[in-house]
Amino acid sequence: MEDGMEVNKKSKRATPAESNLQWSQWQLLDSILPTGGFAHSFGLEAAIQARLVSGPEDLQTFVIHVLENTGSLLLPFVYSATMSPDLETWYKLDTTLNAMLTNEVGRKASIAQGSALMRVAAAVFSEIPALKSMRDASHGSGVVSFHHAPIYGLICGLLGLDGTASQRAYLFITMRDVVSAATRLNLVGPLGAAVLQHRIAFLAEAILKKWADRTVEEACQTSPLLDTVQGCHGYLFSRLFCS
Amino acid sequence: MESEGKVVVEMVGGRSTVTRCFSKYPLKFIVPNKGDSISCELTVGDGCTAVLTTQASTKVYKSMGSKCSEQVLETRIGSGAVLAVIPDPVTCFSTARYSQKQVFRVVSDSSLVIVDWITSGRHESGEKWDFDLYKSTNHIFLEDDQPLFLDTVLLERGSITSIAERMQDYQVIAMVVILGPKMNHIQSLVQEEVKRIMSEQLRGPPTSLGRQIITKSDHCLMKPSFIASASVFGPKGIGLVVRIAAMTTESVYRFLQHQLACLEPLLGVSPYR
Repeated sequence: MEDGMEVNKKSKRATPAESNLQWSQWQLLDSILPTGGFAHSFGLEAAIQARLVSGPEDLQTFVIHVLENTGSLLLPFVYSATMSPDLETWYKLDTTLNAMLTNEVGRKASIAQGSALMRVAAAVFSEIPALKSMRDASHGSGVVSFHHAPIYGLICGLLGLDGTASQRAYLFITMRDVVSAATRLNLVGPLGAAVLQHRIAFLAEAILKKWADRTVEEACQTSPLLDTVQGCHGYLFSRLFCS
Repeated sequence: MESEGKVVVEMVGGRSTVTRCFSKYPLKFIVPNKGDSISCELTVGDGCTAVLTTQASTKVYKSMGSKCSEQVLETRIGSGAVLAVIPDPVTCFSTARYSQKQVFRVVSDSSLVIVDWITSGRHESGEKWDFDLYKSTNHIFLEDDQPLFLDTVLLERGSITSIAERMQDYQVIAMVVILGPKMNHIQSLVQEEVKRIMSEQLRGPPTSLGRQIITKSDHCLMKPSFIASASVFGPKGIGLVVRIAAMTTESVYRFLQHQLACLEPLLGVSPYR
């Protein structure tokens, strides 16, 4: 009887491995990780200058559309990389995504963010030598472009996160970065931004449920207006962001 | 007098059914099946030029149940060859379901012009982005199945956000792909033109956004009625893709006519004239 109660108590406590994983996972989600995410507005800056977004309500709609497009286009890459975090899969996903990111602005942003993330992860998660060796093998080879979504999935997979956790994390960091860009573009204050982020979290979860666990062949874009506007970033006379 | 055509509709199993359908050229009757699927293959040989166009806009009518109209086009373009796919826009009516896939297999010196566009429906009747499903896939592969351009646009009802909400006031979306050595000149012209049009439209950051009152009568604060962006793609930038969102179909016809006019010597026809 006493033994039974002991076992019950123990099974509720996380294993040391699971606890350590939480620390790594939170570090990956934290905006303080120096991956340069703050240089990108996901088309928001262009949307503001095109008068498509002019206040907090427009912003909320914009963020939801960005999340849905992230779900439909990029989650399959995060998922596939998490489920097979190996060099061959990574290269294949990167090549395919490079052909799918037809918007030059979005494509360059993905490469910049992916390269930075790979460099940081290889240095930070030194207990996973595969990260450093994959990076060293590919850096400067011209074989891989270092797109963001596959690398994010790859790191999650090597850390031991499951598919759902990595896809949810990817949506979270996207939401985090667009909302952060909005505060720096003076569209909303920091408190308003935090309120917005919490208010639409359930929608982000619905987007996850809808678009999770799909194959790369199913990847598609669902917001062509967003794609068109983001592509205009290069025509902006004065700009704060790279994309 | 001998008739050129005959159609008989009878009751069969409680449903109106076409039991006789006869026509002599140039008369043609089309009896739609529930959910129709059309598949075409086109090969353009080395050094040849081909132009694929439509007689009028492709109209997709309301679908019965969950059946979908599908069109598939598989093409192969040879060395030094040119293919131009310059259709009128697709218009999906209320509750329509439509899917199209176009695959282009090219070699390094093939040239290609693809226009792929859709309007929001019968907007005069208030039908704006009221269809159930529109899916358009355009894939371009180099030799050995190397993917060069992979794009699928999916507009589906019942998403977390409605299609109309994602399109805001825009009634037409279009994509133009211009690829290959014979298109270098037109690529530069189009890039310049798009940059010129958009630079006029995009204002600098507003000064005090939070306190601004936006009135419809203030012209410079209204959304542009025509938005376009051009992106280079592929090794050595051999391809250019232009994406357009516009409030009127006419403005897109004008843009296409103007930008593609210089293709006349190459194609033997001026597109969208």
